[in-house]
Amino acid sequence: MVGYILRRLLLLVPVLLGLSMLVFAIARLLPGDPVALAAGPNATAADVASVAREFGLDQPLVVQYWNYLTGLFRGDWGVSIFTRRPVAEDLAAYLPATLELVLAAMLLAIGIGIPLGLMAAVFRNTWPDFLARTVSLGAISMPRFFLGLVFQLLFAMWLGWLPLSGRFPLTEDPPPHITGMLTVDALLSGQFHAFGVALSYLALPAIAMCLSPLATIMRMMRASTIEVLQQDYVLTERALGLSQRLILFKYVLKNAISATLTVIGLYFGWLLGGTVLVETVFDWPGIGLYATQAVLTQDFMPIIGVTLCIGAIFVTVNLVVDMLYGLLNPKVRYQ
Amino acid sequence: MSSTTAHPRLESWRRGLYRFRQSWVSVLGLLIVSVLLVLAIGGQHLAPYPQHIAGLVDTSARLQAPSTTYWFGTNELGQDVFSLVVAGTRISLLAGMAVVIVGAAFGVFVGAIAGFLGGWVDEVLMRLADLKLTVPGLILAMAVAAALGPGIVNMVFAIALSWWPGYARLVRGEVMAKREETFVLASRAMGAGTNRLLWKHILPNIMSPIIVKMSLDMGFAILTVASLGFIGIGVKPPTPEWGSLLSVARVNMPDYWWTAIFPGLAIFMAVFGFNLLGDGLRDLLDPKARR
Amino acid sequence: MLTTTRRGVMAGGAAMLAGMAVGQDAQAQSRRILVMASNQDIPNFDPHVANGYSASMALRNTYDSLVGVAGNPPKPVPQLAQSWTISDDGREYTFKLDPAAKFHDGSPVNAEAVKYSFNRLLRLNRGNAWMIAGVVDQNSVEAIDATTVRIKLVTPFVPFLSVLPWVWIVNPAQVEANKGSDDGQAWLRSNLAGSGAFRLRRAEAGNLYEFERVADAWRQGGGNLTGAIWKITRETATQRLMVQRGEAQIAVDLTSEDMDSLKGRSGVNLVIEPEYRTFSMKMNTRHGPLRDANLRRAIACAFNYQGMLDVAGYAELMQGPFPESIDGFDKELPIYRTDLARAKEFLAKSSTPNGGIKITVAHVSGLEQQRRWALVLLDSLRALNIELDIKPMIWPDMVSAARSPETTPDIFMVYQTANYGDPDNLAFAGYHSSRNGGWQNPTYANPEVDALLTQARAESDAEKRRALYVRFQRVLMEDSPDIFGVLEKRKLAMRNNVQGFAFTPVASNAIDLFPLSLG
Repeated sequence: MVGYILRRLLLLVPVLLGLSMLVFAIARLLPGDPVALAAGPNATAADVASVAREFGLDQPLVVQYWNYLTGLFRGDWGVSIFTRRPVAEDLAAYLPATLELVLAAMLLAIGIGIPLGLMAAVFRNTWPDFLARTVSLGAISMPRFFLGLVFQLLFAMWLGWLPLSGRFPLTEDPPPHITGMLTVDALLSGQFHAFGVALSYLALPAIAMCLSPLATIMRMMRASTIEVLQQDYVLTERALGLSQRLILFKYVLKNAISATLTVIGLYFGWLLGGTVLVETVFDWPGIGLYATQAVLTQDFMPIIGVTLCIGAIFVTVNLVVDMLYGLLNPKVRYQ
Repeated sequence: MSSTTAHPRLESWRRGLYRFRQSWVSVLGLLIVSVLLVLAIGGQHLAPYPQHIAGLVDTSARLQAPSTTYWFGTNELGQDVFSLVVAGTRISLLAGMAVVIVGAAFGVFVGAIAGFLGGWVDEVLMRLADLKLTVPGLILAMAVAAALGPGIVNMVFAIALSWWPGYARLVRGEVMAKREETFVLASRAMGAGTNRLLWKHILPNIMSPIIVKMSLDMGFAILTVASLGFIGIGVKPPTPEWGSLLSVARVNMPDYWWTAIFPGLAIFMAVFGFNLLGDGLRDLLDPKARR
Repeated sequence: MLTTTRRGVMAGGAAMLAGMAVGQDAQAQSRRILVMASNQDIPNFDPHVANGYSASMALRNTYDSLVGVAGNPPKPVPQLAQSWTISDDGREYTFKLDPAAKFHDGSPVNAEAVKYSFNRLLRLNRGNAWMIAGVVDQNSVEAIDATTVRIKLVTPFVPFLSVLPWVWIVNPAQVEANKGSDDGQAWLRSNLAGSGAFRLRRAEAGNLYEFERVADAWRQGGGNLTGAIWKITRETATQRLMVQRGEAQIAVDLTSEDMDSLKGRSGVNLVIEPEYRTFSMKMNTRHGPLRDANLRRAIACAFNYQGMLDVAGYAELMQGPFPESIDGFDKELPIYRTDLARAKEFLAKSSTPNGGIKITVAHVSGLEQQRRWALVLLDSLRALNIELDIKPMIWPDMVSAARSPETTPDIFMVYQTANYGDPDNLAFAGYHSSRNGGWQNPTYANPEVDALLTQARAESDAEKRRALYVRFQRVLMEDSPDIFGVLEKRKLAMRNNVQGFAFTPVASNAIDLFPLSLG
């Protein structure tokens, strides 16, 4: 078991290295010249050249990559050409917001998706099942940004139940910064009023984000539950008189959840990179917005930073999921 | 001799078709997709105001609510929203199809080679595919499309870049499985070369899962194209792509809701229809997934 | 390290004011906080590096400059300088500083500080340095005594007082103490060394910036605000709703449709005023089919100006390169308006008498108004049988494309904002050949225009100056390098409990907090 974990951890290194190379290459080889913009509207050719030198852009690509890589370990993720802020600082500021959104969306997706999937499997081929399957397909098909707009219109503008955008009311002081995730920070410091407020701001964007993974988790759960229910050992136990409910608890939950775990791992990374649209609509200051800004100003350092960051988190989450999967299903470990 | 053993594939197709007809969701999907195809092929000829699709404006008829003259109302330039949405069908469908085909073609090629040759070629190619999967697709597509400049071709290329690994892994697995099968060993014994084996024998046998995946992906491809359009990267004016129509119109909510709601609904219906169809096709072609 | 940096700004300010607990207590009593909604972030607080209207807002409230700008039409008003004299030849300015002026750390704002700040701006050559480039150099600023500064201009420059509000004075001691290896840029990026009436309380990048009034600021008077928040709100619809619901008191980025939506709503005042922000479509005069002046004139006559106005909302058509309210505007200037017959006449005289060509227009992708105007242009050019290829580009790409005539698109859409209310700003930036290769004037070069503009900016006789600008405008119409577009009016929505606001057509979206009160 320990060997398995160690092996996987060791594999992380070349993967992350390769990721950094790939991302760096793509970002730097893309056409585009952010330096002219950064030098300002009244810059001369000499000014532009000096800005280029300032950022080390006049050196060969390999040297630039090496500097970048060594910088990474020192905590220097480069500097944004446009704002001149260190990318690491920006990431630390923007990342918690996105993490909070993604975690909330995953919690909702798991919390609602798994029971729904179970129900659909148990009531297979009856109308609740068909309804659930159609609605879930509809949920996956709905463009998140459109849904976000509709939610805003309905719940914030017309009904006024929930706030319009942002993370926290402007004139109130947010809870003390521990993780950067307002809901978590509020709970950790015991400020329950602040927690409620932060939650109300989190609600709409999280719901807009959760529908896709919710639908997929539901379908996944349904499919694996059905498969388990048809297994010989289950049929045997039923024949022997064991109640449906006990069977469900004994086998289904364990095996079905392990399959769902993989989906969760995949979705976490996908969600992390896909918050852009919801963040735009709800003015949620996360890395999606940060990356969009960087793309629109061709600021490649932040683009590389964000991509690397998300990639690293994705790989780590997958590793954790794989290890949990290995715990649940010992056969996997010895592959 | 019963007909079932003489033409087993045909029989399984017939049975699949029967099941397909039974499932009303799949039929609904087929219906929606057919309507979309009609709209896409008909394009300008079906639109009441084709000149607006070409980019002409009519500033005296700005922002009019839906009526009998303008079924979906007009936008901020006086253009008929219905015509724009209809014209957008062709673009979204074509772009989505292009993404899936390009991604699939490249992925199948890579996966087939990796699966068939095995060894270190397989390792390298699969590591590359894995690596690609870890890079956040949307952000990468945004960056590439923004750098290459506006235009459908650039956008399709940018999105297809993140699409191919899925196909590569699928095909690799299938090819590896089929590689050891009797008919392959037999063909080899008869002197068939690698190329012939791969392209003429193995690949046709694994088309089903590839087609299933392509149809399932179509919906997402359309959604990704619309997402890029929403951010403002992708097509150039006056191309009436749904995502960019929605993006431009979102400032009009709620007062001029028709400029945003109709393109949004169009995206939803297209993706929904293809997803339903994809589901149905999977039930049809891939018996393992049958419930 | 990373956690404290966000707090670092507050720490920087608060640490400097060690012992100034009074300010914080007073705030707890009755908070009057003005919330402003904008879509522009403030990534950099260095007064000699930052640009953009959001940075200007932050800097003009946390730092001071020699003179300020106020009124409509805008005029220089005393700020750090109580009074000033100008020599007869217009090349020597002597400023008497207010002896009460002091930085947030208590040290006085003296002539040495002024000299240090000017020199730092020139040394770094970023931010607003271009406003005084070629006019002031490292030897120009002299500290005669603690409260007297003399500035000797390298060349005469009539609008000098108009550019001074954007040259801010920093605390030399603080900057020197944190100089590092980059002249203090890293430190000043997120720390303040100013003397303004406000300081920074809270900075959340990409989200909001909170300012609070300094307890014993040296400037007397002003409004009753205890603080202000600059909230980054990217959707204008959200800005509109925030003002509607009273969650924000001022919204600065609203579109004409947003303003229409707010008309008549209780509690909201609409400020819609003409400004010095021009929009034109600049044609490539050095490369491509538009080298031909007759073709340019044809296009200028074929363009659907009414259509442009229809989709522009609150705006006026330009009557030439200058807004009407700028001194030097020529009322009798013969401008082009939609006249297809005349357009076809010009076309017949050009090198492509039957059209049949395809030209490109570039606009900033995401700017909705520009997209609309590009479509109006497409529509207009059909009449001349000219096809238009619309290229939305991201701004960095447009800036790069402007570098040489070969890469500049045939038509280049650009907004130009006068940072100071003098005709020199728009004229020089937009039409002098020294700006070729930059986005403000990619290709147009005419030696006659260059001579006129250089002469005009040094001419201190007002009548003669006006005559020079009239001549300049006539030459320009003859050359027709631009399709003159619209002057969008400045649109601000304000809650009616905001008092003390007086509109100035310069930098009106960089809200000056000092005179404002919440009623």
